[in-house]
Amino acid sequence: MKLDTLVKFQHMDRRWIFLGMGLAILLPMLFPVNLPFKVDERVQSLYDAVEEIPAGSTVFISADFDPASRPELEPFFRANLHHLLRKDVKFVSATLWPSAPPLVLPIFEELTAEYGKEYGKDWAFLGFKDGKELAIKAIGENIPETFPQDIKGNKVEDLEVMRGFKQAKDFAMIINVSAGFPGTREYVLQIQGQYDLSIASATTAVSGPDYIPFYKAGQLNGLSAGMPGSAQYEKLVFPDGPPDGVRLLATQSVNVLNVGHLFIIVLIVLGNVAFLVTRQAEEQA
Amino acid sequence: MTGIEVAGAWISIFLTICVLSFLYDDNPVYKLAEHIFLGVSIGYGVIEIYFGVFKPNLLDKLPFNSDVAWSLQSVLTFVPLLLIAMLFSKLVPKYSWLARIPIAFIVAAYAGVKLTGELNANLMTQVAQSIPDLGAVWAEHGFWTWKADGAGVFSSLFLVLGLSACLLHFYFSAPQNRAMQQISRFGVLTLMLSFGASFGYTVMGRISLAIGRAQEMLGLDRNPEQVAQINPKLATIVSAALVIGFLIVWRRRQGDDYTPGN
Repeated sequence: MKLDTLVKFQHMDRRWIFLGMGLAILLPMLFPVNLPFKVDERVQSLYDAVEEIPAGSTVFISADFDPASRPELEPFFRANLHHLLRKDVKFVSATLWPSAPPLVLPIFEELTAEYGKEYGKDWAFLGFKDGKELAIKAIGENIPETFPQDIKGNKVEDLEVMRGFKQAKDFAMIINVSAGFPGTREYVLQIQGQYDLSIASATTAVSGPDYIPFYKAGQLNGLSAGMPGSAQYEKLVFPDGPPDGVRLLATQSVNVLNVGHLFIIVLIVLGNVAFLVTRQAEEQA
Repeated sequence: MTGIEVAGAWISIFLTICVLSFLYDDNPVYKLAEHIFLGVSIGYGVIEIYFGVFKPNLLDKLPFNSDVAWSLQSVLTFVPLLLIAMLFSKLVPKYSWLARIPIAFIVAAYAGVKLTGELNANLMTQVAQSIPDLGAVWAEHGFWTWKADGAGVFSSLFLVLGLSACLLHFYFSAPQNRAMQQISRFGVLTLMLSFGASFGYTVMGRISLAIGRAQEMLGLDRNPEQVAQINPKLATIVSAALVIGFLIVWRRRQGDDYTPGN
């Protein structure tokens, strides 16, 4: 490559990079390729932990995400609900994010209807609670007091699915789908150690590295980070491919992600080569 | 799907294209989308907090309500109301000192809640984990295991040495002799590895967001019946044509005064 080209490359309009990135995302979507991917240990542990929950048990799902994190977390959220519902595990859910209820309630209603589950008996959604860490502490102590009414206006203590469940430690597992603060870190800091809770977390890619130490220390019994984590979980839940009507959005997206990453890697390599070569040429001049 | 839901999907796609137009340059359609986003977010947040928190936890518990009797407990609900009112004293400079009382209350309560959790879960447990039992690690994983994401004695030793080197890098009281400089350099290398991993995850997160928007614009995240009703590809083409057309007109109107913002 000529020196002039390398100099031009260093000073090129950044909009060409945006255009390239756009194409790197759109082209694999329009012309899909299926590259293999493996399931990492953290996602396998999460799957195994859910698999070990006996039928008829109840878990608490803290759905703490928003529209911005939907592409990364909704695929896990859906796959996890399929996993729980087909194992006949009941669930009670709540959220600490104000924008979550309109996102998660339609998914709950769609999937519970698909598996023939009844609201109040097999599942319940308690809605949003502000207070962040204080709300998490309150979930650890007394859920009916923290959420006096569910999303439909029923008294939470009267719900059949809540009978015998007063605080977080009464549930077989806490599943936290977390896009940031408040989320997994706060659950671990505030109540995991105090009540020795079994917590599994699905989080965004940005938060992933921060939570790996929690998994390594046994404070989380499973961790799915970002879209690849969701795709791996989908692969475990649907090993023979999706049933009719089920879309595995994360699995579809992993190939697109791979192409996007390759584009970034090529740019980093080219950028560094151009920088080193031009610097050397300038020093010699 | 109702007509409003279809219109909502079209508006969502149009606003996505408006936001993406920022990649060309800062422009009025981007500003429009930005202001709509801010306004809707704030409006939604205020309503959610009012009906989800403020009303059930405070207003409904005040003894002014017909179904709440006057008692010590109901009278005590005036205390948070008073603290909230004191926060607004910031607006009157003469009485702004009153706001310090609820702020002190918030800071103290928050510090108390944070401290115990941080000490127990983030400090003690993590410190304990940074001293691995090498014998047990060797028995379980050996020197290195690909299947367990590189777990083994090598990774455990690297953790201990890297952590120690990072801590020593920030220990400024020791003389910077040759040994300390080498340790410090290893600490910097470890930090760079950590930052590199975080950067990689961040890039992945951002690309995932772009994939999410692209899936919506191509109709890949909806079932076939919804796609037939919404026709997201048509919505994308129409929106892109509108935004590009506007950008061309806007750019021409600026003429020679145009200075790229990016």
